[in-house]
Amino acid sequence: MTAVLETAPPRSTGTVLSVRDLRISFPGGVNALRGVSLDVGAGEIVGIVGESGSGKTVLGLAALGLLPSTAEVSGAAMLGDVEMLAAGAEDRRLARKRFAGAVFQDPMTSLNPTMRVGQQVAEAAGSMGAALEMLRRARVPEPERRARQYPHELSGGLRQRVMIAMALAGSPALVVADEPTTALDVTVQKEILKLLVELRGETGASILFVTHDLAVAAELADRIAVLYAGRLAELGPTADVLSNPDHPYTAGLLAARLQPESPRGVALPTLKGEPPDPRAHPPGCPFAPRCALAEPACDDELPEPAPAPGHAGSVACRRSGEPTRVVLDVYERPRPQEDADPVPALRLGGISKSFGSRRNSRLVVDDLSLEVPAAGAVALVGESGCGKTTTLRIAVGLERADTGAIDVGPGGRPQLVFQDAGASLTPWMTIGELLEERVRSEGLAAKERKQRAKDALALVGLPADVTSRRPRELSGGQRQRVAIARAVVVPPALLACDEPISALDVSLAATVLNLLSRLRAELGMAMLFVTHDLAAARYVGDRVAVMADGRIVEEGPSELVLAAPSHPVTRALVDAIPRLEAR
Amino acid sequence: MAVAEPIISPLVIPPRQRTARWMRLGRLEKGGLVVLALTTFVAVAAPLLAPHLPNVPLKVGPFSPPGHGAVLGTDDLARDILSRVLYGIRASWFSALVVIASGVLVGGVVGLVAGTAGGRVDVVLMRITDLFLALPGPILAIAVIAALGPSLQHTLIAVAIVWWPWYARIVRAEVRAQAVRAHVDAARLAGVRRVRLAVRHLLPAAIPAVLVTASLDVGNLVLTLAGLSFIGLGSPPPAPELGAMAARGMPYLLGHPWIPLYPAVAVFVLAFAANLAGDGVRDLLEHQ
Repeated sequence: MTAVLETAPPRSTGTVLSVRDLRISFPGGVNALRGVSLDVGAGEIVGIVGESGSGKTVLGLAALGLLPSTAEVSGAAMLGDVEMLAAGAEDRRLARKRFAGAVFQDPMTSLNPTMRVGQQVAEAAGSMGAALEMLRRARVPEPERRARQYPHELSGGLRQRVMIAMALAGSPALVVADEPTTALDVTVQKEILKLLVELRGETGASILFVTHDLAVAAELADRIAVLYAGRLAELGPTADVLSNPDHPYTAGLLAARLQPESPRGVALPTLKGEPPDPRAHPPGCPFAPRCALAEPACDDELPEPAPAPGHAGSVACRRSGEPTRVVLDVYERPRPQEDADPVPALRLGGISKSFGSRRNSRLVVDDLSLEVPAAGAVALVGESGCGKTTTLRIAVGLERADTGAIDVGPGGRPQLVFQDAGASLTPWMTIGELLEERVRSEGLAAKERKQRAKDALALVGLPADVTSRRPRELSGGQRQRVAIARAVVVPPALLACDEPISALDVSLAATVLNLLSRLRAELGMAMLFVTHDLAAARYVGDRVAVMADGRIVEEGPSELVLAAPSHPVTRALVDAIPRLEAR
Repeated sequence: MAVAEPIISPLVIPPRQRTARWMRLGRLEKGGLVVLALTTFVAVAAPLLAPHLPNVPLKVGPFSPPGHGAVLGTDDLARDILSRVLYGIRASWFSALVVIASGVLVGGVVGLVAGTAGGRVDVVLMRITDLFLALPGPILAIAVIAALGPSLQHTLIAVAIVWWPWYARIVRAEVRAQAVRAHVDAARLAGVRRVRLAVRHLLPAAIPAVLVTASLDVGNLVLTLAGLSFIGLGSPPPAPELGAMAARGMPYLLGHPWIPLYPAVAVFVLAFAANLAGDGVRDLLEHQ
C-alpha cells in the first residue's frame, strides 16, 4: 500500500505549473485566452475565477495538455519539466501520468458507468490495495463496500470523492479541479472543499481550482486569479484580493455577490451589460464597456498586468491606483403592491406524491401544506432530492399530486421559470413565435400579439429585434431574460421559479433577481421561489420554507429563519453558505 | 409603478453570423452530394438525354459493342443500352423516392401519434409497427405480385408496406426523447394545445434523424428494388429497369459483357452516391 508513495515522482521544489503568455483560439474565431501568465507553486492552491466564456476551463485543459487538436496555441505551459503545448500526444500523456490529476464538474460523465468504482481507482493507483487506500484518504466511508459499487449507485458527493481519489492516486504534483463542486449541494460542497484542503496538506499536491464563484475560491485558495475575457484581470493573495481588490471587475464581482446579509430593501448591485463576445473582443480593456471608472484611454490600449498598488499581486487596469471599492450604483428595490387580495395565490393542502411502481415506490412529497399569499413571495429551500422541485411542478400543474388539494388563486395558470432557461426554449422556434404562442390563448389579433411580445421583451431589457432570433443565437443571460419574458407576457398571478440562478455567474444572478423583483412589483405577481441557496431565498422570499425528505421542517419570516434557524437541516444550510470572509 | 431605473441594463444583441455549412463538409461527402444532384438531373431529364427510345431496336443490330453507332452498345434485341440505362436510373430513382415518401408520411404520422399520446395508444401502435416489421419483404412482394399481377407499382406497394415501420420507430423515439425535455413542459405551461405541441414542439426534433435515414435509404432501396427486379419481381419486359436488364443480360456476360455490366455499374454508382450523399446530409445536420 505504501507503493503509491514510493513511486511518487521527484518533487521539483518551486513551480509545478508555469504558464507564459498563453494564447488559445478556436476555429470560428473564438479567442479563449489572450496572453495569460501564471505560476502555480508546489503545494499551492490557486483559484481561477471567471464568468463563463472567460477562458478559465481552457486554461485548465491547456495545463493538462488536453486541448482539442483544432485549437491554435501560442506561448508556453510547463507542467513539471514538460512543455505541454509543444509535446506530442504520448509525451503529454506520460506527463499527465507523472505530474497531474484532474477532477471535473460532473463525476457521472468522468467515471466509466460500466466499471466498478474500485477498479477505476485501481487503474490509476496501480493495485486494488492502493485503490482502497486512496478511497480511504478521500474519506469515502466503507471503502471496501463502495469499491464494489458502480458510479450510479453513489451519491454526487461520493462520486466526486472517488474522482478525487483517482486524481490523487498517482501522487500528482498538480491537481486541476474544474468546478468540482458546482453540481453539488452546498453542504456537500463545503465537505469537498474541506477535503481538498486537507489532502493538499497531506500530499503536498498543488491545486488549480477553476470556479465561477469567487466565494468558493475564497474558501480554499492561497492565491486568486481573476480572468476576464481571456485576460488576467487581477492576481494576488486571496485575503488581499477579497479585502482590497484593485480591479473594478473584481470589486464588482464582490459587490454583486448575494450575501446572507445583503439588505433586502435595495436592489442587488450588478455589473452592467454582458461580457464581450469571445469572437470580437474590443481592442482596449475588455472590461471598459462595463466599467464605471473607464476613461476614453481605456478603450484604446489593452492594459498589461502590473504590480498592484493595494496588494502583493498584479492587476491589469489603467485606473487601479484609484478607489475601486464602490463601482456599482445601488437602487431602491421596488416594493410589491400592498393592497393584496385576501385570497392566496396558491394553497397546497396536505399534498403527497410518490414515484415508481407500486412495489418500489418512493415518497417524494409527504403531506405538505404551503400557502403563498397574493402578491407575496415564498422561498422553498432544500437540498437536492428533498422534493422541492416536485412540489413546484405540482403547484404549476405539470405534475399531479397523489393526494391533497391544490388551490390556485384567481388570475389564470401559474407560470414557471425553469432552472435551465435555455432548455426551456424550443430550439427551432424563434423568440417571437415562442412569446406569441403564450399570448395566443388570449385570443388577440396577430398585430396585437406582436406588440405584446415586444412589450414583454422591453420589460426584461431586450431589444425588439430579438423576436427573429432562435435561442441558440443568444447568450445564456439573454435566454434567461427571454424565458422570463415568456412567463410574464401574460402576467400570471403566481410566478414559480425553479432555481433560476443556480447555474448563473454572480453578476448575472444578481441581474435576474433584480429583474424578478421588479416584475413582481410592476405586475403584482406572487412568487414561489425554489432554491438550494438560503441567501437567495432570504433575499427573494418574504417567508422561507425549508424542506427535507418531502416535508417542510421549518417555516417563517425570511430574516428570522436565517438569523435563528431552529431545525438542524436549516442550520446546516446556513453554515454551508460560502462566505467571502471565510479565511 | 415607476421604478428607479436602470436596474435592468438593456442588452445589445450582436448581428447574426453564419458560416456556410457547405464549407464544413468533407470532400467525399461533397462529391456524393454533387453526384446525387447529377443523378437526380439525369432521372428527371432522361427522356431528353437518351439518344434513342428505350424499347426500339437500332439499325446497328443486336450485340453491337460500345462505340459503333451506340455509345454503350446494343443488347440482344438491338436496343440502345445507354438509353435503357438512363431510363432505368429514372425508374430506380423515382421508385426509391416514392417508397421513402410513403414511408416518411405513414411512419411519421404513426410515430408522432404514438410518441405524443404515449400509454396504451403508444403500445398498440408500436406492436402493429413491429408486426409489419416482421414481414419478409421479398416474399411479400411475391405475394402481392401473385395476387395483383406483375407491375412496378405492385412491387413498390409491397416494399412500402415493409418500409414505413422504420420511420415510425425513428419518429417515435425522437418524439419520446423530446417529451421529457423542459421546453415541452414550458410549452404546455404556455397553454399550447396538443396538436400544436406535437407538430411545433416535438416533431421538428425528428426531422434531422428522418432526413439522414431517408437519404441513406435511397441507396438501400435502389439495391432492394434492383434485386427484386433482378429476380423478376418488377415491371414486366420490356420495361427498362436496371435489375432486370442485368438479369436478362447474364447469359451474355462472357461474350458480350457490356449488356449486363453497364446496368450493374449504374446500380452501383447510384447506391454509392446515395450513401455518400446520406453521409453528407448527416454531417450538414449534425453541425447545427
